[in-house]
Amino acid sequence: MNLLLATLAAPLATAGLGALPGPRRPKEIVLVSGLAATLALAVATAGRFLAGETPVAFEGALRVDALSALVLVLTAFVGLLAGLYSVGYLERNERAGFVSAKRRTELLALVPAYLAAMLLVAVSNNLGILWIAVEATTLASVFLVAFHNRDTSLEAAWKFLVLGSVGLAFALLGTVLLFASGQGVLGEEMSALDWTHLLAHASALHPFTVKLAVVFLLIGYGTKAGLAPMHTWKPDAYREAPSPAGVLMAVGMMNCSVYAILRVHLVSKAALGPEFSERLLLGLGLASVLVATPFILIQWNLKRLLAYSSIEHVGIMAIGFGLGGEAATLGALLHMTYHTFAKPVAFFSAGTLAQLHRSSDFEEIGGGTLGRTPVASGLLLLATLMVTGSPPFGLFWSEMTILKAGFFGPHLAVVAVFLAALVVLFCGFFYQVGRLTLGPDTKPADRAVLPERLDLAMGTTLVAAVFAVVSAFYLPDSLVALIRAAVRVVEGS
Amino acid sequence: MIHDFVILCAAGMLVSLYLMVGQKALVVAIRLYGVQSLLLGVVGVALGLAEQRTHLLVTAALTIVLKALVIPWFLLRVIDRVGIRREIEPYVNVPASLLLCLGLTVVGYRVSLGMAGASQGVAHQVVGVALSMVLIGLFLMVTRRKAITQIIALLTVENAVFLVAMGATSGMPLVVELGISFDVILAVLVLGVLVHRIVDRFESMDTSRLSNLRG
Repeated sequence: MNLLLATLAAPLATAGLGALPGPRRPKEIVLVSGLAATLALAVATAGRFLAGETPVAFEGALRVDALSALVLVLTAFVGLLAGLYSVGYLERNERAGFVSAKRRTELLALVPAYLAAMLLVAVSNNLGILWIAVEATTLASVFLVAFHNRDTSLEAAWKFLVLGSVGLAFALLGTVLLFASGQGVLGEEMSALDWTHLLAHASALHPFTVKLAVVFLLIGYGTKAGLAPMHTWKPDAYREAPSPAGVLMAVGMMNCSVYAILRVHLVSKAALGPEFSERLLLGLGLASVLVATPFILIQWNLKRLLAYSSIEHVGIMAIGFGLGGEAATLGALLHMTYHTFAKPVAFFSAGTLAQLHRSSDFEEIGGGTLGRTPVASGLLLLATLMVTGSPPFGLFWSEMTILKAGFFGPHLAVVAVFLAALVVLFCGFFYQVGRLTLGPDTKPADRAVLPERLDLAMGTTLVAAVFAVVSAFYLPDSLVALIRAAVRVVEGS
Repeated sequence: MIHDFVILCAAGMLVSLYLMVGQKALVVAIRLYGVQSLLLGVVGVALGLAEQRTHLLVTAALTIVLKALVIPWFLLRVIDRVGIRREIEPYVNVPASLLLCLGLTVVGYRVSLGMAGASQGVAHQVVGVALSMVLIGLFLMVTRRKAITQIIALLTVENAVFLVAMGATSGMPLVVELGISFDVILAVLVLGVLVHRIVDRFESMDTSRLSNLRG
């Protein structure tokens, strides 16, 4: 069987089995082994690519180039972590009586289904398939946001779905317009919407229609990526979604949306020259970083804090790609990679902290958590170091790479503002987490705190932390080769 | 001749949207959406017959069955179940809304002029109508409060996109079209389920009550 199809089928089968009723233990084993198999298959697919092959399926509608392979592996990695954490998360919640068996089935089915849709995004070579896959991710994740069925979860799910659907309607319009721009050039087959086909015929596309299409596509997929000003669903959804789903949204979905944006960017570059979409990306990226700044400074909730951090990071990536050139692109792709390693630690430790304190609001948790829940708080501090881009961790290097490329480029003013915002964001994030973990113990007297236990969720967090720390000092050669090859894809050399 | 007919139908879709903006009964809004989808289907049939594009006929049939019949039926059932029949006073009152929509139509048309030179046949008029519909649909989403109205506005935007697909291209590849239709149906179902949950929880589908999350 085609390796690529197997990679997509594995999480789908896991989701199908997860939806069946059954005793708990075997279902959890199915989930974890299914996701582990998915990661193994994704790595194998990427390995095929590195060995010089280009894995394809369905007559080229699905195709793995360096960029796809990178996103595929990173997403599958996060998928496995999220799966492991889900099992621990459910165990904890069921012990506390928060989650019923029906809800458990929901989570066990939706997490792999969400992952399957994301992997399909990563390998699609076809605009139409890409859109269908992104819509599928939205539909798979909406009930994850509504999971706890609180008033606020429903509100978040509604915003998420409505904003996401508007974004997707825009993306669809962009897709149709891009197709319309090549009437008589592209043909009418399914392959007319392939990236490879579009790139080959880019110079013959009608420029004005392409421009219109690119704007709609960037707004559309930018909504899914959470670029400002289309980011407003993000803080709500992240706060309400269970942590394993949150990490899939914050890392997996973000990488996949960035992938979609990059494909649009590539077509735009080929058809209109680099200027047009680079300017747009630069603008959206800078807006995201600037929007995140005040909200991190005044934040009142730990998970929303992470959401604004994720808006910042997607903004940084957009700025990297918007600056253009080999160095900035390398920085942006490195940023994606390191972010994939670092963010799960932040989400998992914050999730544990919130579960033990039964709230993620700063006021209800109270300061000085390091004394009450030392392991989770310590991991959150470590994650803060990584996520804010402190040396020697990976995100520091990727941010420096982007900044350096920027200072040698023509957009000096943008880079200066960007740097200033980064400094404020760094301080703001540290202030918030420091207040929470390090300050004097100000736990509200009427709130109980559960004791920390070394359960599966905590174990997963520790493993994720080890991966994140090691990745700062050592990336496997094959991953580096993949990133370099992906840079060549984006730069078109 | 056939082009005039297509433009007439497209204009009819725009008119149905204006009527939607102009009134508050949810049942009427849903029926208007059905009429709009029917007109979209007619556009598909006309173009399919005139230019011998059989797969456009498939798309048109799909549109008529799903969007003119199934989705309106489903939405009518939802409002029947939750027992809410009228939109409350929108954030912007009706006369002002209509005036603003007029402005949005001009904007949509102005943008589509850029396509005039290159495209074949009816493309630029159709894109003009479609862009206006997208803008008005977004306007409706922002200013109306009932969840159902927001869903209809979203579906209107979707219709506009399909209008572009039929009028300005030779029709999207069939596989893609089927996938998209399937996804849209699924999205409506999910939205319907969510409306149920919201009504159960808040005893209202007024989305302005969904405002606890800020900052």
